[in-house]
Amino acid sequence: MKSLSTVVVIAVIALIVASMTLFTVDARQYAIVFQLGEIIDIKKEPGLYAKIPLVQNVLYFDSRILTVESEDPERFLTSEKKNVLVDAFIKWRVVDPKQYYISVGGEEARARTRLQQAINDGLRAEFGKRTVHEVVSGQREEIMEILRKRADADARKIGVQVVDVRLKRVDLPAEVSESVYRRMEAERKRVANELRSTGGAEAEKIRADADRQREVIIAEAYRAAQQTKGKGDAKAADIYAGAFEQNPEFYSFYRSLEAYRQSFKGNNDVLVLEPNSEFFKYLKNSGKPPPAPAVK
Amino acid sequence: MALNDPQWGKRGGNNEGPPDLDQLWRKFTQKVNALLGRRGPPNRPNGGPPDIKQLGGGFGLLLILIAVIWLASGFYTIDASQRGVVLRFGQYAETTQPGLRWHLPYPIETVEKVNVSSVRTAEIGYRNNVKSKVPKEALMLTDDENIVDIQFAVQYIVTDAQEFLFNNRNPEDTVLQAAETAIREIVGKSRMDFVLYEGRTEIAAGARKLMQDILDRYKTGITISAVTMQNAQPPEQVQAAFDDAVKAGQDRERLKNEGQAYANDVIPRARGAASRLLEEAAGYEQRVVANSEGEASRFKQILVEYLAAPVVMRERLYLETMQQILANSSKVLIDQKGGGNLLYLPLDKLMQTAAAPVAGGDAANKPSSTTETLPLPADNSMRSREAFRTRDREQRQ
Repeated sequence: MKSLSTVVVIAVIALIVASMTLFTVDARQYAIVFQLGEIIDIKKEPGLYAKIPLVQNVLYFDSRILTVESEDPERFLTSEKKNVLVDAFIKWRVVDPKQYYISVGGEEARARTRLQQAINDGLRAEFGKRTVHEVVSGQREEIMEILRKRADADARKIGVQVVDVRLKRVDLPAEVSESVYRRMEAERKRVANELRSTGGAEAEKIRADADRQREVIIAEAYRAAQQTKGKGDAKAADIYAGAFEQNPEFYSFYRSLEAYRQSFKGNNDVLVLEPNSEFFKYLKNSGKPPPAPAVK
Repeated sequence: MALNDPQWGKRGGNNEGPPDLDQLWRKFTQKVNALLGRRGPPNRPNGGPPDIKQLGGGFGLLLILIAVIWLASGFYTIDASQRGVVLRFGQYAETTQPGLRWHLPYPIETVEKVNVSSVRTAEIGYRNNVKSKVPKEALMLTDDENIVDIQFAVQYIVTDAQEFLFNNRNPEDTVLQAAETAIREIVGKSRMDFVLYEGRTEIAAGARKLMQDILDRYKTGITISAVTMQNAQPPEQVQAAFDDAVKAGQDRERLKNEGQAYANDVIPRARGAASRLLEEAAGYEQRVVANSEGEASRFKQILVEYLAAPVVMRERLYLETMQQILANSSKVLIDQKGGGNLLYLPLDKLMQTAAAPVAGGDAANKPSSTTETLPLPADNSMRSREAFRTRDREQRQ
């Protein structure tokens, strides 16, 4: 029993000593080992390490990629003196824990402030050189790369690597947006009017074309019709001539009779006649044979 | 229960069944031995049940109990959708598959579970529902300095649990950030009409690629599975104008169709009218020719007869014609010499009285008598005027 309690006591002491001696570095961390305030070791690899209790102490830093995001978009002036609201974020990580500790005391907030200042400065400089259009579309990547390099150069002084700088929003301030909306509206109105009027114009064109076609079709048909009629007339004339010239004198007589008949066919025609015409030669004389005609 | 028991052995080989305690124990002692062997003299009990038994008594049992509880704290389960990342003293040791697992208990090893197969969604420009927009995120500038209102949904899965855990402090926020910057960059390079209409899928594909590039650069262990444009609209302030423009497009089509309808009405009618003209002309031609042929032939036939007896023929024709003319006309016969005197007759009255009884016959007296046979029965000439007229009317009808 005595040996057992000894074992237990020893075990407990061993555990206490171990807990003071041993420390682990997580895969997401770096550690700096201090000895009476002096940095004597930097542990960048995760694992189990030992230190001298009481004399040495350990400080941990995050080794992951961290983000600095601006709370509210800030205003920047472009080269054409327009204000734009810009919202960017910075991805950064600690690469030199010793430098990081010396420069900013290992405080993330201070590092953030420092980075943000560097970026703001860079943004002001780069935006001042460019127009809104260039910032929004043309040279976005270029600006981001310049900013990254610039911020990285500065960040190295505090043991930080800037992994990336990205512009998130590049917007126009509310007042300017309003005028953009008005312009967009006007543009749509233009488009709408254009569509309507071209529609009207095209419709008119189609109608006019239809009318033209109608005229042409009818006129051509009229021409063909007249040609056909003329052909018929000519043929008829030829036929008439062929027949009538066999005896023009008789034709004249025959045709005249026909014409008289056609002319006097209504009851409204009133003929005032003298009885001594050829037709009435028997009207007064009963027509005694041959003698000389009494007609005057 | 032995390992070579057929039933047990079958399942023991896989990761499905409850793990064999003997095996786990052996694994544990191996691990402890390996650790102690490296770190110092093994003067502590090295874990075998026989050793503990030597201590004996209730205290020994207590120790065994503590040890068992401690060891049991190493059990963990990994869900089918998860992977476990085992850290040994903070260092990555292994990634474990779903099932009941065991790791060396705290403080030696710890496990972090990461959901890898479930699809996560990030929403840009809205929250939960496309209708609840976040204008700050949704409104963006295009290349032609217009503003569009866009909602995106980004779906992603964790493909590398280790990277996901170790490389970024807030990988999920990073997805949102990458999404927003990527979409704005792509939209910023596109024209408004392209974004709103024809370019939707292209924009989404471009954003997806750019997002993935960014996330890969940060080694987030995340793969974007889909970027879908939920909605792309002109901003609310100008929506009415855009709607009107769309309507204008419809109006244009309508006007064109109306014009076409008119054309489709007019042209066929004109074609119809044209063919009527042509047909009429053809009819006319045939009629004229036929008439002429008929008349010519009639004339020729009469001519033959005429030549045979000219005087009689002339006389007859003349009389017949006169008869017809006089039969159909009102006539005034004046037997008076010296016709130079003024002759006053109430001609209009005469005509009225003449017209009244014959009114019914007017319709019958229509022309068409051009081809009428001239010869009439001889005895007809002796009839009274009234009788003759009636007969004549009947004949014409």
